[in-house]
Amino acid sequence: MSAEKKEYLLVDENGQGKPDKPWIFRTYAGHTNAKASNELYRKNLSKGQTGLSIAFDLPTQCGYSSDHEVSRPEIGKVGVPINSLEDFRILFDQIPIEEMNTSMTINGTSMWLLSLYVALAEERGVPLEKLNGTTQNDLIKEYLARGTYIYPPKDSMKIIVDMYEYCLHNIPKWNPSNICSYHLQEAGATPVQELSFALATAIAVLDAIKERNCFSDDEFEQCVGRISFFVNAGIRFVEEMCKMRAFTEMWQEITTERYKVKTAKYRVFRYGVQVNSLGLTEEQPENNAWRILIESLGVTLSRNARCRALQLPAWNEALSLPRPWDQQWSLRLQQVLAYETDLLEYPDIFEGSKVIESKVKALKEEAKLEIQKIVDMGGALVAIENGYMKSQLVKSQTERLSKINSNELVIVGKNKWTDGIKSPLMTDSDGGIFKVDPKSAEQTLNVLGEAKSRRNADLAKKSLEDLKQAAKDGKNLMPFSIACAKALVTTGEWADALREVYGEYNPPTGVDGQKLFLSDDKVSTVRGKVEAFTKANGHRPKIVVGKPGLDGHSNGAEMIAVSAKHSGFDVIYSGIRLSPEEIVQSAVEENANVIGLSILSGSHKEIVKQLFDELTHYKAKIPVVIGGIIPESDFDELKKMGIREIFTPKDYDLMSIMEKIIDIVAAEPALV
Amino acid sequence: MIDTKESLSQLVSDALLGEKYPIAKIISKIETEKNLEFRESLFQELIRQNPDIKEGLTIGFTGTPGAGKSSLLGELCKLFLDFAPDKKMAIVAIDPSSNLSGGSILGDRTRVTLPRRDTRIYFRSQPSQLELGGLNPYTYHVIRFLRRVFDYVFVETVGIGQNEISVSLISDLSFLVMQPLGGDQVQFMKSGIMEVPEAFIINKCDEESLANSSYYMLESTLEFIKDILPNQSLPPIFKTSVTKRKGIEELLLYILQYQKRKDKNSETLTQLTQWIRNEYGRWGISIWEELESSKWNQAIKRNPLGGIHKLKYEEEERKIVSFIQSKIK
Repeated sequence: MSAEKKEYLLVDENGQGKPDKPWIFRTYAGHTNAKASNELYRKNLSKGQTGLSIAFDLPTQCGYSSDHEVSRPEIGKVGVPINSLEDFRILFDQIPIEEMNTSMTINGTSMWLLSLYVALAEERGVPLEKLNGTTQNDLIKEYLARGTYIYPPKDSMKIIVDMYEYCLHNIPKWNPSNICSYHLQEAGATPVQELSFALATAIAVLDAIKERNCFSDDEFEQCVGRISFFVNAGIRFVEEMCKMRAFTEMWQEITTERYKVKTAKYRVFRYGVQVNSLGLTEEQPENNAWRILIESLGVTLSRNARCRALQLPAWNEALSLPRPWDQQWSLRLQQVLAYETDLLEYPDIFEGSKVIESKVKALKEEAKLEIQKIVDMGGALVAIENGYMKSQLVKSQTERLSKINSNELVIVGKNKWTDGIKSPLMTDSDGGIFKVDPKSAEQTLNVLGEAKSRRNADLAKKSLEDLKQAAKDGKNLMPFSIACAKALVTTGEWADALREVYGEYNPPTGVDGQKLFLSDDKVSTVRGKVEAFTKANGHRPKIVVGKPGLDGHSNGAEMIAVSAKHSGFDVIYSGIRLSPEEIVQSAVEENANVIGLSILSGSHKEIVKQLFDELTHYKAKIPVVIGGIIPESDFDELKKMGIREIFTPKDYDLMSIMEKIIDIVAAEPALV
Repeated sequence: MIDTKESLSQLVSDALLGEKYPIAKIISKIETEKNLEFRESLFQELIRQNPDIKEGLTIGFTGTPGAGKSSLLGELCKLFLDFAPDKKMAIVAIDPSSNLSGGSILGDRTRVTLPRRDTRIYFRSQPSQLELGGLNPYTYHVIRFLRRVFDYVFVETVGIGQNEISVSLISDLSFLVMQPLGGDQVQFMKSGIMEVPEAFIINKCDEESLANSSYYMLESTLEFIKDILPNQSLPPIFKTSVTKRKGIEELLLYILQYQKRKDKNSETLTQLTQWIRNEYGRWGISIWEELESSKWNQAIKRNPLGGIHKLKYEEEERKIVSFIQSKIK
């Protein structure tokens, strides 16, 4: 190589050409039970995956053991169920945890899962300094978008700070929390909202740590260096790349100015990405493969804002859980991008671009204003409790949906070029989708039952009492949680102990005062039908919008609630995590004309059955419609159970949905 | 449909047993336009089936939005189940209706977690239908009905300032719920609303010193009003916090032990007056004054607990309608 410096080359300190190391390849995975997930992880690692990203099932995320009544329909559905240390022993069997970078997507119970990981490491004799990975532990996005929170915001923040304090002293390579703006975009956040809400969250965490005053200045710097981010990359990839550059620059500024971090490496914006699932379509799902590729480019092309780790959804995620083959296909995309192309050989290819620079500047300016607004309000926790951030997200989401409805936003295969040949990818005998074997839950329950019967009951009881007392006294809960883990306490027992002390949180729904931006002929048709109903019956039609089970993805339910009000319905919407019994009870007490359920976790059959049982208990004949990710192969069974109409992501036209609902309601014999 | 006597009688007897669906259906019917006929037969049927009429205590909860009324009611419900094991309560929560479409989002259930399948607590939402005063046009009749079934009927209303008064006119006991140092005190004092409620709640008293300063501020404001109304004793003030679970037991015990009832005659008259004014304006009121019942009105005003004549709302409504129509012709 000549001595002359080439601007376009990446070189090492000796001037030798040296491409970047690729980012960490992950697949967000876990299903059925610990044993099946362990097999899956080992297979994925052998295929060239370089990190683990564990998906937990909803009961584990919400702090219920598998033998709790609300868990039953959800065991092993969207992730792996973890009840006690015994499940972790199985999950990490033959996986060297000291060599892994393990990301655990867990929030409300993150302290518990980390405690299990620590207990496992100690049992294996692995020094804790060697453990490397991340617990997501971002409660704020849970309150706003994802819904698997347990305790009130202030108590949750206390738990996060406990983990920072413990980790810095004991597991220095662990990222105790990871500010996750991913779900904000899924819930409709604009790039500015993603920037500002995520950074305001990071500020809230760091301020809380500062307030505890548990670190020296040097330690605090390290602690800032441990904060990592998890972001979403959407389809408008130039804007998304600018968003990432804005993130990087703003984090530099915040850590320098607000927190006076002197060491450069602790000011680096470290982030992982999962590309957007919101934009994936159920119609012509093969198009999703291209979307995923383009979305990946936004977070890989730009060296100054390249992600540390990437996980891609599968092309068929809008249909159901992906099969192992689908995940493999996504992993291959990353490998092609990193190893076949020349992407990693160049310095930042957008440096000096006027377009990029000015776009980044504009995003930063807007985001700064928004952050200031939140800080002035009293910070991210206050903006959650008073419903500000939630209502902003619901507003963006309704605007987005209004645009799809009016074709202002083009989605190929959905509202444009909708005719096409059916995909041969879906003609396999399994219909192109993955289903969890309903019998697999038994294995999980057996492991749980055995662990409980084998453990020292007194020790388990005592460690739980100690945990409760520590929570009451405001002590750091990590050591007490680890003691619980070693005593084979279960996930539900751990969470219940803290529920007793902190209570359970019920946040604002964000739908009050929201309106749709739709006023076309379809709206007047639906309103006309609603008025006709009102005239004939003497009162407005009433809908109960129910979000049953542990699945906290409430966007769909919120949009239906807002659309129903827009159409003239009286709407009862009480937020997430309701039991079918609670939904029916409110429909009965309110004498609702229709119940609309929203279920995305795949547990629709079980939940619908429970719901109809409950309607029978009250001798109530209220029509029920359902919306969510529901495979066509389940339609017949659901209709036989009594479901009147099924809406899937294909039904994006809100007024068509409302029209079908008012038609059903109007055709019913008068209720009173 | 409740067309026949038999099915109404069935509904009423099921409702009296506390069954939720029949109660809900009756309320929907009361909330239907042109329900006079139905109300007449309903209340006749209620008296027929249950002659020694149960009269539940009506408790009004009013206050500025954000004062935490619903969360407070939620906590009261939980405690109620333990404290009053043989009693039943209903809640009517009134939410604002929308603008353009007339639809509404009724979100108050969100704050109240009710035990499943428990017939001792019944919760019902009501859109305000843009009525001023925080009450829905049917609220009064819904409450009249619920009082026959439940021992306690809570009414939670929206509204701010003067409009909140109306709930206290149809409640035996009404509370004004405030936040600490919300600046509400001065505003309410100006608008005269302080004279109306029977008791006050400073909610969200999560922090002791703020709670106490608000308490003393309110107390001195009330003392000032007491000078204007010399015959009244100072109304009680409760300090509550849902997050700290403080003061709620005291509040509940006060409600459970509350004895004083308002005269239902004057309540009926108030509602009738309001209804006539809504339907026929001042002209309607002047016509009504020609009717005999307005003489009772005077008599009741002179002697509030006299109970000279038990007014029947529906009968009066029918009388005034036919009288006014004769005038129009």
